[in-house]
Amino acid sequence: MSDRNESDRLQQESTFQRLIRRPEAGSFAVMVVVLVLIAFASNGNAMNALGIKNNLSIISQFGIIATGAALLMIAGEFDLSIGSMIGFAGMSMAMMLKWGLPFGLGEATPFSAFFITLAMTLSLGWLIGTIVVRSGLSSFIVSLGFLFGLRGVTEVTFRLINQSTQISGLQDFKETSFFARLFGGESFGWFYDLAFALGFNLNRRGEQWVTGLDARVVWWMLVVLIAYIILSRTQIGNWIYATGDNKESARANGVPVNRVKVGLFMTTALCATIFAACQVFDTNTADAAKGNLKELEAIAIAVVGGILMTGGFGSVIGVAFGAVTFGLVANAVFYIPWIDGSFYRVFVGAVLLAAVFANERIRKRITGGI
Amino acid sequence: MAEPYVRLENIVKRFGPFTALNGVNLDVHSGEVHALLGDNGAGKSTLIKVMSGVHAPSEGTIYVEGKPTVFNSPRDATVAGIGTVYQDLAINPLMSVTRNFFMGRELYKGPRGLGIMKMGEMNEIAHDEMLKIGIDISDPTQAVGTMSGGQRQTLAIARAIHFGAKVLILDEPTSALGQKQQMGVLKTIKKVRKRGDIAVIFITHNEIHSQLVADRYTFLALGQVIGAGKKDELEHNEIRRLMAGGAEMRDLEQELADI
Repeated sequence: MSDRNESDRLQQESTFQRLIRRPEAGSFAVMVVVLVLIAFASNGNAMNALGIKNNLSIISQFGIIATGAALLMIAGEFDLSIGSMIGFAGMSMAMMLKWGLPFGLGEATPFSAFFITLAMTLSLGWLIGTIVVRSGLSSFIVSLGFLFGLRGVTEVTFRLINQSTQISGLQDFKETSFFARLFGGESFGWFYDLAFALGFNLNRRGEQWVTGLDARVVWWMLVVLIAYIILSRTQIGNWIYATGDNKESARANGVPVNRVKVGLFMTTALCATIFAACQVFDTNTADAAKGNLKELEAIAIAVVGGILMTGGFGSVIGVAFGAVTFGLVANAVFYIPWIDGSFYRVFVGAVLLAAVFANERIRKRITGGI
Repeated sequence: MAEPYVRLENIVKRFGPFTALNGVNLDVHSGEVHALLGDNGAGKSTLIKVMSGVHAPSEGTIYVEGKPTVFNSPRDATVAGIGTVYQDLAINPLMSVTRNFFMGRELYKGPRGLGIMKMGEMNEIAHDEMLKIGIDISDPTQAVGTMSGGQRQTLAIARAIHFGAKVLILDEPTSALGQKQQMGVLKTIKKVRKRGDIAVIFITHNEIHSQLVADRYTFLALGQVIGAGKKDELEHNEIRRLMAGGAEMRDLEQELADI
């Protein structure tokens, strides 16, 4: 008895027990189930050469914004302006490409259009973050204001300059600009070439079917990789966790809580801008309604990925699994003819609720509630 | 008599018309445990906030190692070697022991902020520093939420010492703990005292706890020092009388009996 000390009460766990307690565990399991179900229900069509391309296209869209939203949620804040920011950034880039740079500065290139837009969206992100940390108001309300305000500004600007809330038929900048190809072009062409050489990836005439994935897949992977390293390996990562767990404790220990939060609001704005750039340069169009409801999907994916609503806990990899799950289900209607597309929303609602309960359980287990 | 590490001279703190501290003197010596006692509202919290740089005193001087010092922020006080362990401990339950230990002061390679944390080294330091003052945590990567109140207290104390605290202010460390864990905290205080280079200011409501570990006492009531002295200079009954804010225990008993 006397040899027994308090640390003995913490049971040593097996590797498997450790794995299932990781924040990614739940979203990984859900992803595997959904993957298998959709593969079977679509007779494998969802996983053929074109299916993989189309699925990864929407998965990457989800993934890019959900990663930004997740980092912010770990720090204890929400950003509801992501969707409107996508619309705003898309409008801004397309407008400059069609009508030239502001103040009569001449023709815009994809490069200048992107970076001028990025400067604006980052400033907006900074503004939202600064209002939140200075006023101490809930980020839910502040960013809700920007959800409405930015969407309105986007529509008004469209009508004033363009007379219509959409732009279509921009020239295909991918043909002339390497920079436009970075966002709207293709990636992993070698993979599909290889598959073709090995006898897969054939269309009905026996030619190569799909030439490559969307460029945004690479952006998604980059965003996930960078976010993963920052969150779990760097000093800022520790600050993000500390800020979301208990910001007073973090502040008392010298964590620059406000700067962390403002920086993360700028990060979500960056993610929204990347999302919009991929869309504009891929389709050569823009529309004032682009990005509608994307902020809520991003939050839902983050929660399904194991991020706590209360902050302080979660993993980037879990959110990546969540994005795969959501992307597959959103696309399922294209491969499974007998299913109604609105089941996507039913699925989102059900999985979201289940995830919130599961996350709460994890939180209680860590803090000693169970 | 050795120079006190920190000396407060005639500290007055007013909040508008309210005088929270009215000319308090306090000497804090390295290698000693100084018990700061007093009822609720006696001014203990204000006094430690003045010492830890949260409030600037309205009048009076703080001497650190004999030099008059002004603290403009809690950071100044930390730099001067005054580490405060508040009741909430400034600990995050969802984060690991190591991540808590180095919160805001991580060891990293590369630029500040984006530098990669040296997790292995940090795990070792956190484990060793906590072992020095009494607990052997089996796994520094475990979440603090899984630890007991006493273990958390030890973590906060070890952290303050590791980051250079020469004066350790413990704000009611034994309240809200079970009997056995209270003893654990007192043991920790003794171990810190034994190092000889750290002064402990121990704030408590519990006279028994203070008698078990303190070398020196200061009693506050209504913002003033009503009694102070070394352990051997004060009688047990005198301590009890001062604890009750100077009222005679017998009088209190009489009052209770009259109801």
